[in-house]
Amino acid sequence: MILVVAEQRGGALNPATWETVAAAQQTGESITVALVGADVQKLAAELAAAEVAEVLAVEHDALEPYTPDGFVAALAQVMEKACPELVLFPHTYQTRDYAPALAARLGRVFIPDCIASKVRDGQRVFVRPMFQGKFMADVLPQGPAPHFASFQIGACRADACARGAAPAPVREAAVEIDAAAIRQRPEAPFKEAKQAVDLTQAERIVAVGRGIKGQEHLPVAQDLAKALDAELAASRPICDSGWLPMDRQIGSSGQTVAPKLYLAVGISGAIQHLVGMKGARTIVAVNKDADAPIFEVADYGIVGDLFEVVPAIMAALEGEA
Amino acid sequence: MALRRDLAGSRRETPEKADVERETLDVDVLVVGGGPAGLAAAYRLARLNEERGGEPLIVAVLEKARAAGAHMLSGAVLDPSALSELMPDWKSRGAPLDLPVRDDRIYFLTAGRALPFPITPPPLRNHGHYVISLNRLAKWLTEQVEAAGVDVFTGFAGTELLYEGDRVVGVRTGDRGIDRHGERKPAFEPGVDIRAKVTVLADGVRGNLTKTLIRRFSLDAGRSPQSYAIGIKELWDIDPQRLAAGSVIHTMGHPLRFEEFGGGFIYALPDGRLSVGFVAGLDYRDPLFDPHVAFQRFKRHPLVASLLAGGQMVRYGAKALPEGGWHALPRCHLDGALIVGDAAGFLNSMRLKGIHLAMRSGMHAADVAFRAVRENDVSAGRLSEYARLVEAGPIRRELYPVRNVHQSFAGGLLAGLLYSGMSLLTGGWWFRDPMPAHAGHERIRTVAKYFGGAAPPEPPSAPIDRELTFDRLTNVHYSGTRHDENQPSHLLVADTDICRTRCMEEYRNPCTRFCPANVYEIVDADAGEGKRLQINASNCVHCKTCDIMDPYQIIDWVPPEGGGGPSYEGM
Ligand SMILES: Cc1cc2nc3c(=O)[nH]c(=O)nc-3n(C[C@H](O)[C@H](O)[C@H](O)COP(=O)(O)OP(=O)(O)OC[C@H]3O[C@@H](n4cnc5c(N)ncnc54)[C@H](O)[C@@H]3O)c2cc1C
Ligand SMILES: Cc1cc2nc3c(=O)[nH]c(=O)nc-3n(C[C@H](O)[C@H](O)[C@H](O)COP(=O)(O)OP(=O)(O)OC[C@H]3O[C@@H](n4cnc5c(N)ncnc54)[C@H](O)[C@@H]3O)c2cc1C
Ligand code: SF4
Repeated sequence: MILVVAEQRGGALNPATWETVAAAQQTGESITVALVGADVQKLAAELAAAEVAEVLAVEHDALEPYTPDGFVAALAQVMEKACPELVLFPHTYQTRDYAPALAARLGRVFIPDCIASKVRDGQRVFVRPMFQGKFMADVLPQGPAPHFASFQIGACRADACARGAAPAPVREAAVEIDAAAIRQRPEAPFKEAKQAVDLTQAERIVAVGRGIKGQEHLPVAQDLAKALDAELAASRPICDSGWLPMDRQIGSSGQTVAPKLYLAVGISGAIQHLVGMKGARTIVAVNKDADAPIFEVADYGIVGDLFEVVPAIMAALEGEA
Repeated sequence: MALRRDLAGSRRETPEKADVERETLDVDVLVVGGGPAGLAAAYRLARLNEERGGEPLIVAVLEKARAAGAHMLSGAVLDPSALSELMPDWKSRGAPLDLPVRDDRIYFLTAGRALPFPITPPPLRNHGHYVISLNRLAKWLTEQVEAAGVDVFTGFAGTELLYEGDRVVGVRTGDRGIDRHGERKPAFEPGVDIRAKVTVLADGVRGNLTKTLIRRFSLDAGRSPQSYAIGIKELWDIDPQRLAAGSVIHTMGHPLRFEEFGGGFIYALPDGRLSVGFVAGLDYRDPLFDPHVAFQRFKRHPLVASLLAGGQMVRYGAKALPEGGWHALPRCHLDGALIVGDAAGFLNSMRLKGIHLAMRSGMHAADVAFRAVRENDVSAGRLSEYARLVEAGPIRRELYPVRNVHQSFAGGLLAGLLYSGMSLLTGGWWFRDPMPAHAGHERIRTVAKYFGGAAPPEPPSAPIDRELTFDRLTNVHYSGTRHDENQPSHLLVADTDICRTRCMEEYRNPCTRFCPANVYEIVDADAGEGKRLQINASNCVHCKTCDIMDPYQIIDWVPPEGGGGPSYEGM
């Protein structure tokens, strides 16, 4: 018997579950699906549409919200009773979180991130990519059953999951969980704040280079950017030194931008920088070296010390305002 | 053919951070380096599998470049002798050898003139050879090797050798997804341990694995120190009428002085493409010597400038080459490992040719490794058959007679030329045999010594016009070099204090001159006080010059994250 561990969150099944059921169906063996949570009857009924022998609703109040300790405890009990030969998971973040612990708890092998399984010389082997997908390895699980494997998202198609003629029986599988033994207390899920700047959308950019000399002088450029309502960007040495975050680097190994105005301050104009900004509509360069290559692409060039030129620009802007 | 192995159950043995679980891969022969040496070895092994029958040996090749051939830089004029033996049917398999050498000239350059040598000395003649792109040859050879059933893992660098006692048992590849502070990024992926019965090191000139092996086992004990040169090269597109495809030009003299070893080359490929390069010995004494400037000055010589005028530079690159010859070869066999190609130093510096010897050594190594694995004895004693094949075969026949050439050039160009001429008569014997040689980094003088305490004169320079001559950064752009910027520096400088104190004083930071990619810069220290060394590791074109030439031997080149480096399309 193959046990497929389904995944749900907030009243919805993770669609990768259907893919894993489809992968299990390809083996031709009898399948039981286990769904873990606090109130999963409805979703279990949904799962019962698949052509499987049985669906187990593994319910306990302590199983909502998800915690690795809770799931390990619950599934370990399910497995002791059901004695599957093989346990399959969708290779989701949640699986990655608790399945290795579950395998370790039961002393079983876990083969993550598989894309297929097949029978070779009478034994089931799992196919998984290696070397960044350049090669496929056949992995032969060893040690006592059940063996654990997870299937990569997209390895099977969800619509390949065969539906049964009649719904499969749903059975409640009682588990005992000591809520006090759960060591994790999850907080509400959050998304990491999106990248703060999207320089490619900026209309005006003030870019600063090594001519600025030291981090303590950065406000010179920051103030100019503010006065022009522009985003601040930089050449590689500035980001490399950590004076500005790397997502503000313009050039071949940074962002490519095409703003209306690009004001380059103390940037020599190495080709790796130019390829990131030469599409700007108007390029203004401030550099004390008249031979600096930046002047070859600049529409307006100011040869001079930026510590004099920039304050002069600021003063002119203020005069205008 | 995909590699099919049973992976479960096999576990690493070397202790390390407990939470890293490495995959292990078992093969019979692992070849590190997908250059001509490594690919010839792999192809030969595949052929032997076929010819000898029985359970085939599992062979794999590791190559740090993202794509096959991407780190190949050579001249190149190819002597096809080894290829023809390796693969007699190379023509029908579509080998990219389509241009025989048709014209072969040597010039001695003065600042303004080019004096043709009346005759080309026999060892420099290239009749029956081909003008090729090694990048294309390696790509094609990789296809042949893969079609013959060998797995070529491109984009994976060998970072460490695995040992059992003193026996080499394979290689560990580099971890991926480490940020510049050494922390794991979300996509962290630990390197893989590839375990092999025999590891064939074909990691090229100053290979990082071969280097550690030579040190650990003193494989160079009793040998002359290896000497090196740096080759800097550009590809140009010019008017095809100007120089017939298949023309080969070598130069000596300008811009080098008599005390410096080296010269220029121009090889005409089809369709107006020129391979233009300059080789400078990494045993110069003048601490202010700058190979990149020498190359620019070479291009400004009328002979070269008139060919390039109006043309377009399309690629740039640089790479070191071993020039110590026969006397500098280390012991190349040890328990579980063999060293082949440039990694060992099989290069004929008099002919500026190493590809055919690299292939030949790879073939010898394959023969020996195959038999050793079949006989289940991969001890150094069994593998020493490799040394016997080298001794008895074409490699020694070619290298022994010219064994003192590079060393004699250490006495200056005239002495070198005299010797090169004489050696043809004496069969290579010279007043002292082997001639004494010094490692290049020991020959470089301090500014005070070299200029006798006087203020050094302004070193020669070349104006940069970005048409004929280029600054390093523009050049690097044309090398197609890429590295993930957010990774630890792969240039380990043991003590950067030396850079801003002793080295600045004694040698004026020669790293800023000998590195052809502007990796090393001396910049104002952050506090505005004094200077510091800035390492732009992601500029690196993997030429290995800094590892070789730094006078304090404190720079260690280690592989960056696999796949990083130049992209030498057409080189
Ligand atoms: C593979 C690779 C990728 C790269 N990717 C990038 C990239 O994405 N982005 C990037 O920017 N670079 C990149 N580089 C680096 C690039 O080649 C240059 O090194 C870099 O752009 C130089 O930055 P900079 O102009 O700020 O510094 P510098 O070249 O040092 O120029 C500083 C300039 O400031 C001027 N200056 C000094 N003081 C003053 C003053 N008081 N007033 C006015 N002017 C002054 C100087 O005249 C000089 O021109 C890359 C390089 C390589 C090889
Ligand atoms: C400027 C120049 C001109 C030359 N001209 C000629 C010529 O005209 N004719 C001629 O016959 N020869 C010429 N040579 C010499 C010839 O190119 C070399 O002898 C030959 O390429 C050596 O082959 P190899 O396989 O030993 O090393 P390489 O060609 O250097 O190949 C080594 C390979 O190993 C890879 N590698 C290195 N370290 C690792 C690692 N740790 N992990 C994974 N992969 C790694 C490298 O990326 C590379 O692909 C020239 C050389 C130069 C520099
Ligand atoms: S850093 Fe060293 S290996 Fe890299 S390009 Fe410069 S000299 Fe060559």
